[in-house]
Amino acid sequence: MSAMEPDLSVELAGLKLANPVMSASGTFGYGTEYAPYLDCSRLGAIVTKAVTLEARAGNPPPRVRETPAGMLNSIGLQNPGVEAFIAEKLPPLREFGVPIIVNISGQRIEDFVRLAERLSQADGVSALEVNISCPNVEHEGMFFGTDPELTARLVAAIAETSAAPVIVKLSPNVTDIVEMSVAAQQAGADALSLINTLLGMSIDVEARRPHLGNVTGGLSGPAIRPVAVRMVYEVAQEVDLPLIGMGGIMTARDALEFILVGATAVGVGTANFVEPASTVRVIDGLAEYCRRHGVPRVADLVGALEGT
Amino acid sequence: MPRAVAELLHREQAAPGHYLLQLRCPEIAADAKPGQFVHLRLSEGLEPLLRRPFSIMRTEPREERIWLLVQVVGSGTGLIATHDEGTVYDLLGPLGRGWRLPRANETALLVAGGVGVAPLIFLADALSVSDLGVYVRSLFGAATNEALVCWTEFAGRCNEFTTATEDGSAGEQGLVTEVLARELERGDADRVYACGPPGMLVEVARLCAEYDVPCQVSMEQWMACGVGACLGCAVPSAKGPQEYVRVCTEGPVFDTTEIAWDRMRP
Ligand SMILES: Cc1cc2nc3c(=O)[nH]c(=O)nc-3n(C[C@H](O)[C@H](O)[C@H](O)COP(=O)(O)OP(=O)(O)OC[C@H]3O[C@@H](n4cnc5c(N)ncnc54)[C@H](O)[C@@H]3O)c2cc1C
Ligand SMILES: Cc1cc2nc3c(=O)[nH]c(=O)nc-3n(C[C@H](O)[C@H](O)[C@H](O)COP(=O)(O)O)c2cc1C
Ligand code: FES
Repeated sequence: MSAMEPDLSVELAGLKLANPVMSASGTFGYGTEYAPYLDCSRLGAIVTKAVTLEARAGNPPPRVRETPAGMLNSIGLQNPGVEAFIAEKLPPLREFGVPIIVNISGQRIEDFVRLAERLSQADGVSALEVNISCPNVEHEGMFFGTDPELTARLVAAIAETSAAPVIVKLSPNVTDIVEMSVAAQQAGADALSLINTLLGMSIDVEARRPHLGNVTGGLSGPAIRPVAVRMVYEVAQEVDLPLIGMGGIMTARDALEFILVGATAVGVGTANFVEPASTVRVIDGLAEYCRRHGVPRVADLVGALEGT
Repeated sequence: MPRAVAELLHREQAAPGHYLLQLRCPEIAADAKPGQFVHLRLSEGLEPLLRRPFSIMRTEPREERIWLLVQVVGSGTGLIATHDEGTVYDLLGPLGRGWRLPRANETALLVAGGVGVAPLIFLADALSVSDLGVYVRSLFGAATNEALVCWTEFAGRCNEFTTATEDGSAGEQGLVTEVLARELERGDADRVYACGPPGMLVEVARLCAEYDVPCQVSMEQWMACGVGACLGCAVPSAKGPQEYVRVCTEGPVFDTTEIAWDRMRP
């Protein structure tokens, strides 16, 4: 059979990935939490929870709530800060032997630049993923990712500093995601990932108050998949950068929707909570699809959508 | 590997709206410690999507069985009420940090509120077969007589047993924490173990601090992953004004001094 084994490898922003499946930021801890449940060395890449310059406490509980075919979260950016990340979290992550992509977040452009300086040189960091779905304290809390000019300035500053490839993670909470993706491309992004969570809210009607301690939160899971697929499709038409598609991927079939509309790789998030081995199941399912359709390389499927 | 499949051997209504589940699950029956929980997938579809956490009520390692006690409160627990014997569940577990056992010859005061009795039955069971010589005195409170769910299983594993109901339909009339206050005043309890609704735990923690008796509580919080990865199950930690701990990993059993009770959502 080995001669028939499909080639699952893909190239993305100069990274060679054994397969296109990675964990989505914030849903896979720092890898070790899930190590008892799956062989993490099989992942195409591991994307970490957001790292900030200083330690962050995160939002008041409750922080998660199930909603129809999805969930809301308001974790906030709880993390131990960049130095503790490098000292404590990175060494065990390196042991998995797969590319490590570090998700970074900040409140001002300067924060991101310093994070990029520090992390892009750190041993074992393959790329940075820039979380632009966060408020900018210098612009009255306006989200970096909702303004093309702000996005461009942020990305340009990071791209100039970073020794590692820069992946920009786009927010879906915008009127025109294509505009943001073009801004990120022009500013020097090496790849784009999309989508982050959709802003949402749910209410405990008996208690007449929001379920989440933070009032609103980010919606993820199968409920957002059609929105995410549409956004990847639209962005793929307009930019030349490789895309990492995510939003509600539970199975290889779901991942293929993203790949067919133009994603080079995919992120699996909420599904990990439901089935810890979701990522490897998606990998196996992609291989099975390729065999069944006589596709020699999964890369051949990227953007292979017909009938549009 | 901390995951397993479990076959539902027997389901019975333990009280209105409460189900006692007997599951065949050799791995968890062998490994689980009192106070740990399982994270159960209730459907292969999308409703409910996330797993649901339940304390382990009892294990029978030789018979390869575990017991769960489930109160129906919503869609996921509602599904359990419809599951037939033979249903196979996918579960993660045993998860979390359980009760730290008392020292030899101590007197342990176990305080249960409603369905919170489940992890305390496991503790009482472990103490009753241990050679620690611990004297177990238990207090069980609920709104009504009917909600004193599985009280015979609990009582049978304790040296002394007192019940309290809010409507007076069984035992003393009043809150279990009122009985606890009296017991603490008596002064012969070496440590307290409690599980129940959030309001009860806040009061238990307050009383034990007042009487300076070490106390552990099993806490609840909505969970996503159950394994420490999502940071969803945070509760306020006493370590600092903005610190949190994870119920699924550092808990569900905490020493009351580990929790910032004043920052708990009312
Ligand atoms: C460590 C731990 C151990 C638990 N042990 C038991 C047990 O032994 N027996 C038992 O019956 N229940 C236990 N619970 C609570 C149980 O997990 C919830 O009742 C269950 O998840 C609700 O699911 P649902 O789909 O029926 O409710 P949903 O439809 O999701 O919600 C219905 C109602 O239940 C409340 N609720 C939902 N999740 C929780 C939660 N995690 N904690 C408290 N309230 C919640 C919601 O506020 C809502 O009002 C435990 C929870 C934790 C965290
Ligand atoms: C609990 C949780 C925490 C998350 N944390 C982050 C984060 O720190 N940084 C980030 O860029 N995205 C974060 N995300 C967004 C996910 O990476 C992903 O973009 C989104 O959930 C959509 O994918 P999914 O539907 O497969 O979960 C988080 C999502 C969840 C559910
Ligand atoms: S439920 Fe995910 S960290 Fe506890």
